[in-house]
Amino acid sequence: MKYFTIVVSFLLLILISACSTLTLKPADYAWPIENALKVDAKGTITEQRFSFSVNVKPIFFEEFKDSTNYIGKELRIIRDRAGFYFITGKDFKNVYVFKPIESGMQLENKIVISETKGLTSPAFNQRNRYIELIDATNKYQLTSKGLMR
Amino acid sequence: MEKKFIYSVWLLFIISNFCFAQSDLEKVEKFNARIQQIESSIKNASSLEQLSIIAENINKAKNDFVAEKELIDKAIYPESFNSSFEKLERALEIRKGDFTQITELTTQVGTLKDKVSELSQENQNLLSQIRVLNIKSAKDAQTIASLQKLVAQLKSNIQQRDQLVRGIVDSLLAEFVKYPTTLNENEKQNIFGKVEAGNLFYNIERTIADNVQFMKVTQLTPEDLGEMKKQYQDFNKVWRQIGPKLAEVYLNKRDKAAQIANIDAMFNEWNFRLNDEMWGQVNKLFREKKIALLPFSSGEQFVKTVKSFVDDELKNYEVKSKAEAENTYFTFTDSVYFKTVEPVWIPILIENKMMTEANKDSIDAQIARWKNKVAPPSKINWVYVGGGAVIVLLMIAYFLKGRKKPQNNFASQKEEEL
Repeated sequence: MKYFTIVVSFLLLILISACSTLTLKPADYAWPIENALKVDAKGTITEQRFSFSVNVKPIFFEEFKDSTNYIGKELRIIRDRAGFYFITGKDFKNVYVFKPIESGMQLENKIVISETKGLTSPAFNQRNRYIELIDATNKYQLTSKGLMR
Repeated sequence: MEKKFIYSVWLLFIISNFCFAQSDLEKVEKFNARIQQIESSIKNASSLEQLSIIAENINKAKNDFVAEKELIDKAIYPESFNSSFEKLERALEIRKGDFTQITELTTQVGTLKDKVSELSQENQNLLSQIRVLNIKSAKDAQTIASLQKLVAQLKSNIQQRDQLVRGIVDSLLAEFVKYPTTLNENEKQNIFGKVEAGNLFYNIERTIADNVQFMKVTQLTPEDLGEMKKQYQDFNKVWRQIGPKLAEVYLNKRDKAAQIANIDAMFNEWNFRLNDEMWGQVNKLFREKKIALLPFSSGEQFVKTVKSFVDDELKNYEVKSKAEAENTYFTFTDSVYFKTVEPVWIPILIENKMMTEANKDSIDAQIARWKNKVAPPSKINWVYVGGGAVIVLLMIAYFLKGRKKPQNNFASQKEEEL
């Protein structure tokens, strides 16, 4: 019985290792600087350097409950080391953290910066262990999990 | 004291906090803007002094942004902090080279200008001396020799001066090629400067006037005239490129605009004089042999004149004596046209586009038409054929006579024996 258990365990181990997905680690997706992108008439922002575009109308609806007033608005976007996208903008009270999925982005976290007042001139900076959000003289340290400080 | 220190530290902390509260994107954008600003100031610099100030600015910018080197390197990839400044320094060196070259050229133009003035003065003196010698009614060998020497010197001087002025014009043309579209105020000022520095308009006028004067006071050979015509064509071609652009630049300066129009007129005058001299010399060759051709001043007119002369000759052929008609024909063709006009003048006239191959063929056709009447080739052949036939007949008769003689002797001997 003991031998049987060992053999079965061994076979299971082999089976599990064979079924596990190939992963490449560690990876660093960090953008050195944020990007300030204007929303076009279709509600899309287009990033030239990393060559992608994404529809951001739902963020405006989520933030302002209005998905029509977006044309020409500027969004700040940066990607952290782990590969999460941080998006915010002027008058936003939140920073939206997205993870890439097939043909889109999925909300990972919505970080509340202020319950009452929107951001006046937000900007992201890439830092070693976090994303720095600055707004006038205020500074916030963000990760995909939330506000660090 | 201690309190003051604590306040200072707090103040420093607050200030540094403010300083740090800056977007990285903003820093990179500021860096890019500074680089672009320096780039355009290098392009627009108008002196070596300005470039020295720009060199200082480059160093200052380097120091201002060196703290962000790592960020900049990542943000502006594939460019980098160092490569951006290297580019600026290269551009600065190239621009410095341009200015050094411009300074050298300006010095060169200055020297050329002095030389041109010297030569112009010398030419003036030579022209006066030649005029005085020409006026002298009795020309001894010494006078003729010194006249020839002066003419040779003047010719060489004019050629040298023409080349110098061409140099100034060419440098200006290069300037226009550099600015192919409409010139802005700065570029116009640059052109004004060059025109004034080279005393361009005056020198072009002087060049043309001296060439015309030279033609007036000297006896020129066909080769001299061919050379002068080529010189005129080259110079005129450059002027036609530069003249309209200069007229545009000097649109609001009435006196200069008038000077440009005057130069245009002087070029026309120069061309007219050259053509007149060349066609006049061709006509003179006929006149010297007492062949009166109507005046002509182009290839077409030359053809018409020859045709009209040949027509007259053919019309008068019956009236004139045969000898007289033949004499005119042979003088025209052998003594003038085929002797000098065709081998010497026609190649020069064709080369300088004053007549065409078709014109020459037309003249040849007229001469052939004339020849058919006055000295037809068939007539000459019959004379030869007739002469030949007579000689052959004489020879036959001689041989026949020679053969008959021994037969007669034999017959008479026989008669004697019987």
